[in-house]
Amino acid sequence: MQRVSSKRGSSAFWYTVPALAMTVAFFVVPLVYLIVVSLYKWNGLGAMKFVGLGNYTYIFNNANFHKALRVTLTWLASALFLHIPLGMVLSLMLNRRPKGWRFLRVMYFIPNVISTTAVSFMWYFIYHSDMGMLNGLLRAVGLGHLTRSWLGNTSTALFCNQVPFILYVGLTTIIFLTQLSTVSPELYEAAEIDGADGLRKDLYISIPMLKPAILTNVMLNGAFCLRTFEYPFLMTSGGPSNSTTNLALYIYREMMSANRYGVSMAAGLVTILLGVLLMTIVTLLQKERKVKL
Amino acid sequence: MKPKLTASCVMMYIFLYLMLIVMIVPFLWLILSSFRPNMELFSEPFSLPRHLSLANYSAVLASHPMFLYLFNTVFVTGVAAVIDVTVAVCAGYGCMHVFKGKGFVVFLLSLGLFIPTNAFLVPYYIMVNKVGLYDNLWGIALTYAGINLPITVMVVRGYMDTLPTELMESAHIDGATSRQTLIHIVLPISVPGIVTACVFVVIQCWNELLFANILNQSDGSRTLQVAIRSFLTTFEANYAYAFAAMVLAILPTIIVYSLLTNQIISGMTAGAVKG
Repeated sequence: MQRVSSKRGSSAFWYTVPALAMTVAFFVVPLVYLIVVSLYKWNGLGAMKFVGLGNYTYIFNNANFHKALRVTLTWLASALFLHIPLGMVLSLMLNRRPKGWRFLRVMYFIPNVISTTAVSFMWYFIYHSDMGMLNGLLRAVGLGHLTRSWLGNTSTALFCNQVPFILYVGLTTIIFLTQLSTVSPELYEAAEIDGADGLRKDLYISIPMLKPAILTNVMLNGAFCLRTFEYPFLMTSGGPSNSTTNLALYIYREMMSANRYGVSMAAGLVTILLGVLLMTIVTLLQKERKVKL
Repeated sequence: MKPKLTASCVMMYIFLYLMLIVMIVPFLWLILSSFRPNMELFSEPFSLPRHLSLANYSAVLASHPMFLYLFNTVFVTGVAAVIDVTVAVCAGYGCMHVFKGKGFVVFLLSLGLFIPTNAFLVPYYIMVNKVGLYDNLWGIALTYAGINLPITVMVVRGYMDTLPTELMESAHIDGATSRQTLIHIVLPISVPGIVTACVFVVIQCWNELLFANILNQSDGSRTLQVAIRSFLTTFEANYAYAFAAMVLAILPTIIVYSLLTNQIISGMTAGAVKG
């Protein structure tokens, strides 16, 4: 397609300058700063001491960093295998236009407009061992022996951290639904004539059409999992015994509590590399799709 | 497609409404609990409340400047959204044209999408301190604008790319300057993309905790989220107060959402359509 060129070409560039300036200020400069200062030992106030890759050798030999990396990868897995599939199932169901689907769509989205801070806080009380809803519910249905201190237990704390994220699929569902709304009704009608039932229509028409939305959701939720900070910070403070400390909280702790700015930034760079890796994979998959079309 | 009442259909309804209950009931429990005295919460957390009162709310409002926190949050969110949308609209308009080095510009503008910004904890902290905006609402607002710029540009530019260029060409032939074309032709038809981007930025900024927390020290620049976080420790013994404080903090978003439901949902829809 022919885009407008002419003499405006040069002036068009100037329209992008504010955005470029902000990108340089908020991404390029911090990135360079991060890379350079991660080579120093620094407590944030005193003199910086050059240690080369010392901070990186430190984190790669640090058991807590390994744990944090594993926790972050578990978060990514919860997005891929639980959150996104749940959103997909709900969108396929809503796409059959059951009674009240508009109402459900609106209600499912409510948790997405409420701050993660408030949600974490609320779930902290849901898991509360004495007055919490979860234990109360278990007692009420006669499963009192299952009650426990959900957030105080290394075997349950991490999953309990992730439950609100996994459940609140409003945005993910809407992205899927939007993609589904682009499927032409004739496809479904043709399938119906061929005798396909609801499940077959989902499997052979809807799900293949959802690929772009899946990639969008992997991108959005993956980015969320890499940066999520509120859930572990507020619900468990990273504990018990660091079982819920993810990379975001590790970076925060190294800076704010341990005053090891260099180590914090080295961990930051690892997080960025994970982000770049994730986004590159998604982008490549998107490109591949475009070529095929 | 009228679903018949088959077994699988019944299962579907059960699942859909079960999810609704799991998602919404905790919020209702929170709201109900915020009207109950603390003693009752502990002795019988689930029984129907016997005493409902606004006592928790008046205690919270008396001891904390909640309206100041609310104003602070509105301020940082508003400033960030206005900056991001303005800058993104200009960038999107520029990118509708062909110019030298456009490929590199587009690359640079999408760079931020690849970066989880929480990794920039130290750099942003140092930068904000260096320019003298630590513990200042502008420091938080500008940081938010920076963090959310890539997604705003992506959404706005993505939308503008789908606009027909003939519009601009005919405006050009009619003698409109590029600024006039932007303001009178491109801007009005880009509203759906702009709304989507706005919704994204506002939700992100309104709910952000990490940077608001490290860039703040005093009440003057404390946002609602930082305030809620401090309630957990401040009201350690009195959960009922904490509940009331949380309801006060989430109320504005719920009200705005219920007023603008259709715009928000269709806004998200318009932005997400291209993938």
